[in-house]
Amino acid sequence: MNGVWFRYMMVLIALVLLIGSAPAGAQQPAVPAVSEHPDRLQLTDAVICEGVEEHIPINPAVVFSLNIGKVACYTFFDPVPISTHIFHNWYYRDRLSRRAKLSIRSPRWATISSIQLREADKGPWRVEITDAAGRVLKILRFSISD
Amino acid sequence: MFDLWSQSSAIRWQDFVDIALNSYILFRLYVLFRGTYVFRVITGIAFLWFFQRVAVSLGLIVTSWAMQGITAAAALIIVIVFRNEIRSVLQAKNLKAILWGVSFKLKPAPVETLVDAVFELARKRIGALIVIPAKEDPSDVAQGGIVLDGVVSRELILSVFWPDNPVHDGAAIIEGDRITQVGVILPLSSRTDLPSAYGTRHRAAAGLAESTDALVLVVSEESGKVVAARGNQVVIVPTRAELERQLNEHMGIGIQPVSYQRRRIFQLAAAGVISVLLITGVWFSFTRGWDTLISFEVPIEYMNRDPEKEILETSINNVALQLSGSGALIKSLRPDQVRVRLDLSQAVVGLNTFSITPDNIKLPPGVFLKDVYPQTVDVTLDIPKTVSLPVQVDWGGKLPEHLILVSAELEPDTLQVTGGSRLLDDISTIYTEKVMLDQIDRSGTLTVNPILSPASLKIAGNSNQKIFVRYTVKLRRP
Repeated sequence: MNGVWFRYMMVLIALVLLIGSAPAGAQQPAVPAVSEHPDRLQLTDAVICEGVEEHIPINPAVVFSLNIGKVACYTFFDPVPISTHIFHNWYYRDRLSRRAKLSIRSPRWATISSIQLREADKGPWRVEITDAAGRVLKILRFSISD
Repeated sequence: MFDLWSQSSAIRWQDFVDIALNSYILFRLYVLFRGTYVFRVITGIAFLWFFQRVAVSLGLIVTSWAMQGITAAAALIIVIVFRNEIRSVLQAKNLKAILWGVSFKLKPAPVETLVDAVFELARKRIGALIVIPAKEDPSDVAQGGIVLDGVVSRELILSVFWPDNPVHDGAAIIEGDRITQVGVILPLSSRTDLPSAYGTRHRAAAGLAESTDALVLVVSEESGKVVAARGNQVVIVPTRAELERQLNEHMGIGIQPVSYQRRRIFQLAAAGVISVLLITGVWFSFTRGWDTLISFEVPIEYMNRDPEKEILETSINNVALQLSGSGALIKSLRPDQVRVRLDLSQAVVGLNTFSITPDNIKLPPGVFLKDVYPQTVDVTLDIPKTVSLPVQVDWGGKLPEHLILVSAELEPDTLQVTGGSRLLDDISTIYTEKVMLDQIDRSGTLTVNPILSPASLKIAGNSNQKIFVRYTVKLRRP
């Protein structure tokens, strides 16, 4: 009985380790969060940052210099009940600038989109994060400055 | 091109008053100055002015300029040269006579009385010089004189020329049934063909007769003869009948007598009609000239708008009207006299395009519309509503390189904004005024104003709403 229990525990640990050491391209979360509604898509983290390194957003902020070249929107979903897609809608003032359709997979998933910065992009921006049905999950606001 | 009918239909009540007033002034000038040199000179100036207008209409620049100068100079000269005559006319009449009196009392001289008096003077060898003017005013060439204005009578004439009378050497002027002036000094004739027996009194009679159309009677105190001078003729009047004939002929009292009063009324009526026609012509040429064009910028007024709808946007706020009319009317045009009104009673929510037609434009009479620019106006109507919109800081400038602005909390973070529904549907954020980053070196707070664009948007309630911003900066991760 103890041997069976031990084997079961080992398999469970191995699975956790397997998930935790997934490849960089799989956009795994930096800080997994526990969902209160395991049957519903949950956005647990969303930031605008200068980039993502090793699943961690670099320098999340609300103002970015044009000099950094690009900004990224990092989102982490947990749980993801079924594989689906979400949207990152980038607005410059009230004009839609980019609509990024991003796939997310169960059980949890982190994903990013980014824009290249040009001189004409200076000013207030926002990113609307919506689910596949278009429901707004979160709005992130930031500015591009000199 | 305007026709005369369109001109006539645009005459204002002020124009009638204008014409009537000036016609009356012209008529009064005629009444006051008729038969004088002043009247003839005024007539000459009127002709000069008429030719000047013709020259202007024909585009004769130098001629019109010269005519204008001569007319102006002549108007000045008339006042200077004829100041005495003008003064005597105005002094001899009271205000009522100047403004509206028409003298019907001027009756033909009582010929019989005059004949009696003249031959009584001749019988008594009392020298006399009597002037009976016709149409021309002898005061133009005569000098001096004392105003008497007495009714002609045999006794008065005798007393005027009585040798002890201080004015007996001068001439007496008889106008109608009155002796208007006595002691008048007449110009002497320089003729050489006059009989040597004729003295100064005869030469004076001949001198005035040559200069005017008056009949001048002379009674010689030496010979007791009566002499009549008229034009270039100086003749002895031997009998009472002959003098009576000459006087009747001079005064226009013929074999078939015409009612003097009817003739006067006819003359005045004719003068009145001519005054009205002349002033009407002058008025048309002066105020109805079509040569003046003006571009007038007029704001558009929107009428009969459904109270539930609001004007969200208009393609233009003003229209440029090209107007024509007389220079005087155009120059006196006031902004409140020109209006452009659009009826919005049929307008719908959304874009409405209206053509600006003459029906939309109200102009004062005498001013005509030549063109409108632009000829259409787009009006966007909307139904107002109030929504809650998030506020976002519009950061500008440059944050120091070693810092990052990690958060900005706004209080309030939403504003109640009122505006057109269609407009608000396209607006999802209210931005603040630009907040410069250059001076930020640590976390802090600031207060900024929201910017509502377009200006038709309003903040519900407190229109001076400020936004409080608490921001946090951190050192940049290397």
